[in-house]
Amino acid sequence: MGKVLYIDYERCIGCRACIVGCEECSGHDHMSRMFVDELNPGETVATSPTPCMHCVTPACAESCPVQAISITADGFVLSASMEKCIGCKNCTYACPFGIPRVDDVKKMMYKCDMCYDRTSKGTPPMCASVCPTDTIQFLDEQELKNHSPKEVQYQWDFGGTTIETKTVIGLPDTRSNNFGYYDGEGVQS
Amino acid sequence: MGHSQNREYVQREYDAIERDGEELISTHCCFCGMQCGMNIRVKTDSKEVLGVEPRYDFPMNGGRLCPKGVAAYRQAEHGERLLHPLIRKNGKLVESTWDEAMELIVSKIKGIQAEYGKDAIGIYSGSSMTNEKCYLMGKFARIGLGTKNIDYNGRYCMSSASFGFNQSVGIDRGSTNPWSDIKSADVLLLAGSNTAECHPLSMPYIWGARDNGAKIIVVDPRQTKTALVADIHLDIRPGTDVALANGLLHVMIEDDLVDHDFIENHTTGFEKLKELVKKYTPAHVSEITGVAPEKIVSAGRMFGQAKNGMAMFARGVEQHATGTDAVSTYVNLCLVTGKIGRKGSGFATFTGQGNGQGGREHGQKTDQLPGFRKITDPKAREYIASVWGVDESEIPGPGLSAYELLQALGKEIKCLILACSNPIVSSPSIAHVGEYLKSLDFFVAIDMFLSESAELADVVLPSTVWVEDDGTTTNVEGRVLRLKGIDRTPGESRRDWEIICDLAERLGRGKYFKYDSPEEIFNELRVASKGGIADYYGITYEKLDKMQGVFWPCPTEESEGMPRLFEDLKFNFPDGKARILAFEHKGPNENISKEYPIILSTGRVVYHYLSGNQTRRIESLLNFCPDPYVEIHPKLAVKHNIGDGELVKISSARGSMEVVAKITKIIREDMVFVPYHWGKSLAINNLTNPALDPNSKIPEFKVCAVKIEKAESMGVKHG
Ligand code: SF4
Ligand code: SF4
Ligand code: SF4
Repeated sequence: MGKVLYIDYERCIGCRACIVGCEECSGHDHMSRMFVDELNPGETVATSPTPCMHCVTPACAESCPVQAISITADGFVLSASMEKCIGCKNCTYACPFGIPRVDDVKKMMYKCDMCYDRTSKGTPPMCASVCPTDTIQFLDEQELKNHSPKEVQYQWDFGGTTIETKTVIGLPDTRSNNFGYYDGEGVQS
Repeated sequence: MGHSQNREYVQREYDAIERDGEELISTHCCFCGMQCGMNIRVKTDSKEVLGVEPRYDFPMNGGRLCPKGVAAYRQAEHGERLLHPLIRKNGKLVESTWDEAMELIVSKIKGIQAEYGKDAIGIYSGSSMTNEKCYLMGKFARIGLGTKNIDYNGRYCMSSASFGFNQSVGIDRGSTNPWSDIKSADVLLLAGSNTAECHPLSMPYIWGARDNGAKIIVVDPRQTKTALVADIHLDIRPGTDVALANGLLHVMIEDDLVDHDFIENHTTGFEKLKELVKKYTPAHVSEITGVAPEKIVSAGRMFGQAKNGMAMFARGVEQHATGTDAVSTYVNLCLVTGKIGRKGSGFATFTGQGNGQGGREHGQKTDQLPGFRKITDPKAREYIASVWGVDESEIPGPGLSAYELLQALGKEIKCLILACSNPIVSSPSIAHVGEYLKSLDFFVAIDMFLSESAELADVVLPSTVWVEDDGTTTNVEGRVLRLKGIDRTPGESRRDWEIICDLAERLGRGKYFKYDSPEEIFNELRVASKGGIADYYGITYEKLDKMQGVFWPCPTEESEGMPRLFEDLKFNFPDGKARILAFEHKGPNENISKEYPIILSTGRVVYHYLSGNQTRRIESLLNFCPDPYVEIHPKLAVKHNIGDGELVKISSARGSMEVVAKITKIIREDMVFVPYHWGKSLAINNLTNPALDPNSKIPEFKVCAVKIEKAESMGVKHG
């Protein structure tokens, strides 16, 4: 059974170790492919990481005019092949999650490749390895989708088009705490 | 998974990735007290440090690392490393040879001692050093130099916890429990600890407890990430912890949530506490602390009703002129509810510095000899004198504590040897500290980078970075760990222990400092600690490797150490009983006034370590947080007409600085917060109050009175 990234939003402390870790993976040329966003700056310290969502039908790959973006047998969407990529940024515009980046100097696209040199050997990717809070985990895909401890999301609606992703998001239970997901009151004095 | 003591930790069963032409050196992070395990990737032929690879099998962190840990290796090949000794000539630091530098130091030391006496030499050292180095520093001061004046920067960090634990339970190990116990707690009270940012690798345990249904209470003036996810956040006014903890005790006693059997059989002092906390009603405590009374009641009940629970705290509780009172008052929460000596029940302080624990056990504290022995105790003196092979009378008495030592520079102390510390950034009221350093006759700094303090030295000696060091450290749990260094010394840098031994030799005291390796120093330390409170005698390098670290006390070769303290409910006093101590709330040393109407508090950010001497040089960490900033609540900002990103002038009675505003609702309206990792004009310690706790001599970093105003000039921009 294949493993995928599971992201438990509630646990993220915004430390960006995932970003520094991503830079450390061989073949990443010290360029991170992970993003960490502040959800509600000024209101709370809540943050969430966004790696590639590894779509089942990836728009980046489909939009690539030179078919530089390949998909592995496990369904991971790789960075563009160095030989083929022409740096046209079609993938950047096509991706609904805004993931692929283009290095303007090298004219090369780079994105999360699921640390393929690690995951192909069964070792978790760097972001999931280093994340100090287990916000990012490398877990069994089917088990996650069927019996995750939390409510999960792996289908997304973009203006009527449903996109299914291999990366699975664990949703916070906002009945007990808003975790910074909507306007916090801050602390009272 | 390895030794049975490690079973319930967060290690994972994956193999580290290995690559051709490289080897993996398994060591530990050089930063905070978690001491996370990691592999350093090194080029086999040239010994060049290439990167980091997770070490999944180390129990404490299982490969996880915070951004500092991931990026730490980048110091090793950093272009700013000191590679040659430097001597000040015509006002400038210029390269010299080791011989020239060492001879100069020796002649100055001898001259100053002849003129002013032995105590005119001071040593100010650090707690990021290995146990071996800390031990050696203490020995070098006492019998290499014969001075009583040695102290260390842990005085600014862990000393209140140390004193508080000693007065309450008679032993100072930062945690009564192994970290794996946290996951078994039913309630966690985290006070004055921004755990997520300062000790990120505690989060798998804290979130793990939460996954198991534990309730979390956070006491913090800011809504940190930990507070955001807590069940109850007690948004306390800085400096009022004693009142708050007394309020929680009041609720628990009122609701009869205390453990009468435990109190009766294993403690003294309860009646006095009961009497004292009568007046700490939720309403009264709310007035002092600013926390809503309902929240105090709920938190008291939540802690009291839980079967197992831990009280954990850090500098927010300790860095006060009443820090030791606050520590013991929080310890009371566990003592009156009998939450101690079991899985998931106990108390702990989060260790700030890498070796904050070991650094205070082996005699670099001015009032201590190795093994946590009191330097004034005749028996302890006699024993250590026999280990060192000197006459008892040769060991000096207690000298000055860290900040007092700095104040004495240029007066009683004419020469300072500074190792692994940067007091001109980390001390309170640093404008004065700069003057003290400049008034010295002679100043030697040992460091790997030219820190803000080293810039002022007469001689700077280049030492190695941690990946080149062999030795041990003691982590937040009291687990002694093994660091394995890469065998290299770039340029002409030398290892600190070799520098110290060479100095001793040149001072004619070489016969007491004959070591060929850190292991030899450790073996002497083991004997020196034997029979002391922090007994390391049974710990060997071999055992450390086999067990992935050993918890002290470990008194015999057969012993496997003691992960959990007080399982027999015997406390470290002659009557075996813990002391429930009653303290009144006294409040901060400095109160707000008309002129300075706002409370300033300081702390860390996740990307930087202490004075920033190391992390500010690592590009990726610096980019995440290049400059300090001041957190201001929107309502306070409106009052002063300050917008987000605008420059603000903050001033206290001691100094002022300009810093960029970060307007945020995470902070109380009556205070501001500035991180402390920067030097010179960006140092918040220009403003802080050097008032000391009378017991621990820790400065009151966490509260001082300031005013804020919009700044006119264009200063540094927050990135
Ligand atoms: S490493 Fe983990 S906790 Fe830190 S920012 Fe990334 S996801 Fe969040
Ligand atoms: S899986 Fe690998 S490439 Fe993708 S974000 Fe994580 S570390 Fe980067
Ligand atoms: S700084 Fe502390 S938490 Fe971060 S990796 Fe180092 S030891 Fe671990």
